[in-house]
Amino acid sequence: MDFNTLIAQFVSGLSVAMLLFLVASGLTLIFGVVNVLNFAHGSFYLLGTYFTYQLMQVFNNFWVGLLVGVIGAGIVGMVIEVLFLRRIYGRDQEGAFQLLMTYAFILIIDDVVKFIWGPEYKTIPKPDALMGSLNLGTTIVPTYNIFIIVVGMLVVLFAWYFLTKTDKGKMVRASSLDRNMLGLLGTNVPMIMTLVFGVATAMGGLAGVLAAPLRTVTPGAGIEIIIDSMIVVVIGGFGNFWGALLGALIIGEVLSFGILWMPEMATVLTFIVMIIVLIVKPEGLLSKKMVGRK
Amino acid sequence: MKHKLISLLLILAVLSPLTAVYGAETIKIGALYTMTGRGGQYGKDSEVAIKIALDEVNAKGLPDGAKLEVIITDDKNPLYAVSVAKRYITDEKCKFLFGIISSAIGLAVTEVSKENKVIFVGSDHAATDLTANKFHKYYFRSSNNTFQSMMAGAMYLKDEVKNWKKIAYIGPDYAYGRDQWMEVKWGLDKLGVKYEVVGEYWPKLYEPDYTSYITAIMKAAPDILIVGFWGGDTVSFIKQAKPYGLFGKMKYFHVDAGGNYEAMAALGSDMPEGIIMSARHHNNWPETPANKAYVDKFYKAAGRYPSYAAEGAYVGIHMIAEAIRKVGNANDTEALVKALEGMKIQCPEDPPGFTSYIDPKTHQIVQVQAIGTTVKNDKFPPAKFMLGNLKVYPADKLWPNFEYIDYMTKVKGK
Repeated sequence: MDFNTLIAQFVSGLSVAMLLFLVASGLTLIFGVVNVLNFAHGSFYLLGTYFTYQLMQVFNNFWVGLLVGVIGAGIVGMVIEVLFLRRIYGRDQEGAFQLLMTYAFILIIDDVVKFIWGPEYKTIPKPDALMGSLNLGTTIVPTYNIFIIVVGMLVVLFAWYFLTKTDKGKMVRASSLDRNMLGLLGTNVPMIMTLVFGVATAMGGLAGVLAAPLRTVTPGAGIEIIIDSMIVVVIGGFGNFWGALLGALIIGEVLSFGILWMPEMATVLTFIVMIIVLIVKPEGLLSKKMVGRK
Repeated sequence: MKHKLISLLLILAVLSPLTAVYGAETIKIGALYTMTGRGGQYGKDSEVAIKIALDEVNAKGLPDGAKLEVIITDDKNPLYAVSVAKRYITDEKCKFLFGIISSAIGLAVTEVSKENKVIFVGSDHAATDLTANKFHKYYFRSSNNTFQSMMAGAMYLKDEVKNWKKIAYIGPDYAYGRDQWMEVKWGLDKLGVKYEVVGEYWPKLYEPDYTSYITAIMKAAPDILIVGFWGGDTVSFIKQAKPYGLFGKMKYFHVDAGGNYEAMAALGSDMPEGIIMSARHHNNWPETPANKAYVDKFYKAAGRYPSYAAEGAYVGIHMIAEAIRKVGNANDTEALVKALEGMKIQCPEDPPGFTSYIDPKTHQIVQVQAIGTTVKNDKFPPAKFMLGNLKVYPADKLWPNFEYIDYMTKVKGK
């Protein structure tokens, strides 16, 4: 196996991983802070792409579309959190309510999208500046894939800075550990939870917008993306932001090299990795066993 | 007394046409379509085509003033579809089962049709099994199966593509994808074509990201990449493969569902020029009045051009209506089966001089298959490319093929 092939396959895996990370990080952030397994997270991926699609019909500018897609997904996320999810926090069997309610939102958002934009596939063109490919010797890498990798890394850097270096970030981390204690200390916990939900769903929207020029925008895309994201979150650890990054990198690269060396088994390999993690470290690779969480 | 009798006869004479209309039978067809998710567009397009066909059928008239009515339910999954099909028969008293996009659901519902002796006209699902190893007398199909397109594809590769030896395949990892690969290899073998397989790739259905598959295919460097995707998967793969220069390095060959209009529409100017494709219906071919009228009617009704799936539904409704006209009612199932067997039915996709027909032994509609390459054509917006340079393969060379049916039965069982 020549070195160029290995590099090409590694970069492919990295590009797959970054889109997975952007969706999974939002999913895991919501679980970690708000303690909700947001099954409808993929629907915000879908909404981001459709908002961008709609805006591009008017302005034909990818960058403005990206901004609107991300902000739009975040706003819808916050509205859903305030109007619906907040009402079931703390109820008995909250988990079952969450699952049913967030699953209902998948169906509702899919149908709303179909009602407004129709059932046919939509596409978003790549911005002109990112149309070409970079020829790295004998390896070709599309410029747009490099852009996705760079955006993913910027999100990682920003998240690291926010969560570890700012007071607001520390509050977010604290609320994931004990929201009751944080509330007693005078912090507006509901506000933090709404904001986190908004940021997380905006990240889902960002992933959708970034993926749209490579994929199809169609009702139903949200449910498809959520399965892979769940695998990533399970591997990295539920509620662990850095775990989502590690999980996405593992899945991206396992899939990529699996396709190269054993294509018949490639998809199964990702599930095998998940099962191994569940047996060896069921809480996920980067999560500590949560004791006394409230 | 005589006057009373005359008056009574007069009243009866006046009322009789009214009673005939008032008592006219409504013949129910129980349809199942995927109405949500990725396949939802096919269901929605089929619904539009069914409405157009019903208007035509009811305007032309059926025996005793009967009317056709179609009930459509979202099929969701095989288990659910089976329960709906049973309800259609027992509660709704449907005389026909109809539709279905997914082959997995079609294979489940065909068993309901067989057990209950109710005619099932499949309008879209393409798994060859249903008119081959899983054949039963109450099942009919109003669109081509995958063998027909892949056999035509094997002929195209033999006659139209020069200087190739190495092939690779990528298709969704379920029956539809696996069958196409088996069928094209069988066809090439039968035609005596020598080839070398350098790769097989099986992404899951609806795989969102093909990047790693593309780099692996580029490494395998086949002369021809045979592709078995449908719908959004085709669109995603092409969009992702284009910046890698895949289409300049190998021939892209995608002849069952690659040339579906909705993929052309979604890709717009991203569609590469000169790649080899086909579909079960083309909006721009044949340029016959019948095809143009059908496409125009659809556009007027829906505000968009039809995907291939619509034509199967449109033809299926006309098949049922024609069978009822021949038999005179919708109650004699055995006579309806006989009426459908060998039926000639003019379809929008029929080129001049050819009429599609139902093969009496397998109940598969027999149609030509036109394979071509993508050329610039913006007459059907938002598509910027359509198929051109079409090579038409005669229907009787594609189906029935009992040698293949025997082979399939041996490989997959009854």
